[in-house]
Amino acid sequence: MSAAVPNTLASAAVVVRRVIAASAEDLFDAWLDPEALAQWMRPGTINSTVARVEPRVGGEYEISMQGQSGPIVHKGVYRVIERPKRLVFTWISGPTENKETLVTVDFVRVDKRTEVIVTHEQLPESAMPSHRNGWTSGLEHLDEACQKGLIG
Amino acid sequence: MGEYKSRELDGIFNALCDPTRRAILARLTDADARVTEIAADFPISLNSISKHIRMLERAGLLRRSIVGRDHVLTLNAAPLADAQAWIEKYRRFWEGRLAALDAFVTSKKRKRK
Repeated sequence: MSAAVPNTLASAAVVVRRVIAASAEDLFDAWLDPEALAQWMRPGTINSTVARVEPRVGGEYEISMQGQSGPIVHKGVYRVIERPKRLVFTWISGPTENKETLVTVDFVRVDKRTEVIVTHEQLPESAMPSHRNGWTSGLEHLDEACQKGLIG
Repeated sequence: MGEYKSRELDGIFNALCDPTRRAILARLTDADARVTEIAADFPISLNSISKHIRMLERAGLLRRSIVGRDHVLTLNAAPLADAQAWIEKYRRFWEGRLAALDAFVTSKKRKRK
């Protein structure tokens, strides 16, 4: 297949990984502790973050980031809480067009460190194109995404 | 970044969830092509090809210009560029958050020691 077709659509998820020199437990807990979230769920443009969490399956959370042009509110429901391996929650915010998206966080031990893998999927249609390869490579993976019902 | 209209985006994704339509787009990345040339490349009727092309057109993924008696098709990647920008933004968001998580948890650990 020729290059430069919107392979963009190859993946229906954003996947971001980072290996951190900490235990899976410490890292996992930082996702469910409002005080911890207030510290690290604060992008550069945000003055302060207020988090409220109900850390049980079916429980809700709300993370409100105070930006200069008003608060940006992210909220959702916990779907899976498997300490210290996996956390799955829905994620709804302005940037997702107030549609429900899904965030899965996996914690994988790597020697004494832990790899944290964030998979953000069921993004609004606008977000489904892969972020990774721009307009390169083919559309092969699209079938998979279509079959999974992630697209279309 | 542009405003996304769900209905348009549904059109884009529906248009792309078909191997023939993806093959048509792939064909057009090399060069513009006439409808008849595209039709010759696929073992299906001109009528079927025309339907596929119309879907891609409606999704804004290709443009048709009429030159004399020829209908020339051009790939239009613009609808997908906005989408690209959106996803790039979220990738940066999570990368930033994981860096902050790293700093937060590792500094906390140092304090405990």
